[in-house]
Amino acid sequence: MAVMIQVSELHFTTEDGVKVLEDIHLRVEQGELLYIVGPASSGKSLLLGLLGGQLPPQRGQILVHGRNVGRLSPERRLELRQRIGYLPQGFAPLSRTVHENVLFKLRSLGNFREQAEEKAILALEATGLIRLQGVEAAELSSLDRVRLGLALAVCDDPLLLLIDEPFEGLDANECGEACLLIDRLHTGHLTVVAATRGPLPDVTRGQRIVRLVDGAVMES
Amino acid sequence: MNPFLFLFRELLGSIRARSALFFALTGLLLFVFLAVVGTFFLVPPSSPAEAGEEAVLPIEEIRVHLSPRLSSATVDRMFLEIRAREDVGRVVFRFSQELDRDASGGVFVIGPTSPDVAPALVEALRSLNGVTEVIERRSPGEPDRSPLSTAARIGLLSSLVVTIALSLLFARIGYRELLRSFAGEIRLLRLSGISERTVVPLTVGVGVVIGFLAGLLLLVILYVLHYVVVSQGTPPAIFEGLTSGGRILGVSLINLLLGLVLGGLIGLFGAGLLGSREFRPIP
Repeated sequence: MAVMIQVSELHFTTEDGVKVLEDIHLRVEQGELLYIVGPASSGKSLLLGLLGGQLPPQRGQILVHGRNVGRLSPERRLELRQRIGYLPQGFAPLSRTVHENVLFKLRSLGNFREQAEEKAILALEATGLIRLQGVEAAELSSLDRVRLGLALAVCDDPLLLLIDEPFEGLDANECGEACLLIDRLHTGHLTVVAATRGPLPDVTRGQRIVRLVDGAVMES
Repeated sequence: MNPFLFLFRELLGSIRARSALFFALTGLLLFVFLAVVGTFFLVPPSSPAEAGEEAVLPIEEIRVHLSPRLSSATVDRMFLEIRAREDVGRVVFRFSQELDRDASGGVFVIGPTSPDVAPALVEALRSLNGVTEVIERRSPGEPDRSPLSTAARIGLLSSLVVTIALSLLFARIGYRELLRSFAGEIRLLRLSGISERTVVPLTVGVGVVIGFLAGLLLLVILYVLHYVVVSQGTPPAIFEGLTSGGRILGVSLINLLLGLVLGGLIGLFGAGLLGSREFRPIP
């Protein structure tokens, strides 16, 4: 199986000198679903930011889809970022309808109107939001907001989906539903890496889970 | 539609009442700035008396009108006498009809050797027999004859500084309001890997539009003034610059270009706000 993410000897130290990530080694195959679990401020969001090319690595190597993120030119890094779907922590949708949210992203990425409409419908169907497409995003429930965030992340057919703290503000049942949705989205070629404080719902049993503790990754 | 045009339309659509107010004020101040610049080009030179200066314009040419009763021999003799004078640089005889269809007789068109000797030469020519009239023609635009007094110039230059400073201030407030209402979109764009080369020109584009509208408004107003002034026949001296359509077009185009450049600079100034934490995709 092809490797989607290969991280070796990754270190990251904040401006204040706090070592957040220390000698991280991680390998994620293409089409794999991986949960990274760790306490608050353990560096989960930072790790996802590094994997997603949002931040340049300080030390160590990150290969995403065969490209060394640290050595990419700014233009190439942007190209890579356009192939990565990212749901950030505390995602706040745009003050538009659900449909317009997705359409905005697709049109911004250069999709023509018809093409964008088509992709938006597919993404909303995949995330179970099609019936709410005309609703103002601000009026959505917490779970539906996560759905919208995921729809935005997957709408332009990414290679890799990075999800940061998708269960924030959800009750146990909603966490389970969100997990099932993530599981559904990762089918096929899409690789999914989700980071959370946990605990993970039962539906994730059988999935690959790694723990991020004291700046190091440990397989569960 | 091109992604940039799509995003620009979306950004313009995010302008709310408060940001619109401050952008309107910015545009108005830019208009004032451009109008002041236009004033320097369009207000015509006034007479030295108007300018409150003692300087007399140098005499460039003297026209000596001769009586039609003079014989040609007399005219020839006068011509030779005048040409022989040391203070005469050149002299040409012309028939009066060449200069004025209804006139008769002849005219000596004389160029003095220097402006300093011209007044004495005029007096000497007036005293000649057979001379009906002596007309002095003074050189245009010489010397410093600006109708704007020093105080007025300082006032106008100060107003340039004040208007540009205020327009920057209002533009910054307008941009802050606009970018706040577009913050979610900017975060999403950056998260999605949209280049800063797309995001920054969006904000610059808003400034360019404001500058363009200010320049366009000035162009329209100048042409309205032009038609008003022209329709009134002989305009007051201060509006003489508005009688030439070509000149107004030139000044308007220069101002339009200046408006675009200033608008672009204001946009760059507003784009400085994009570095704020508020617009980062990941906290």
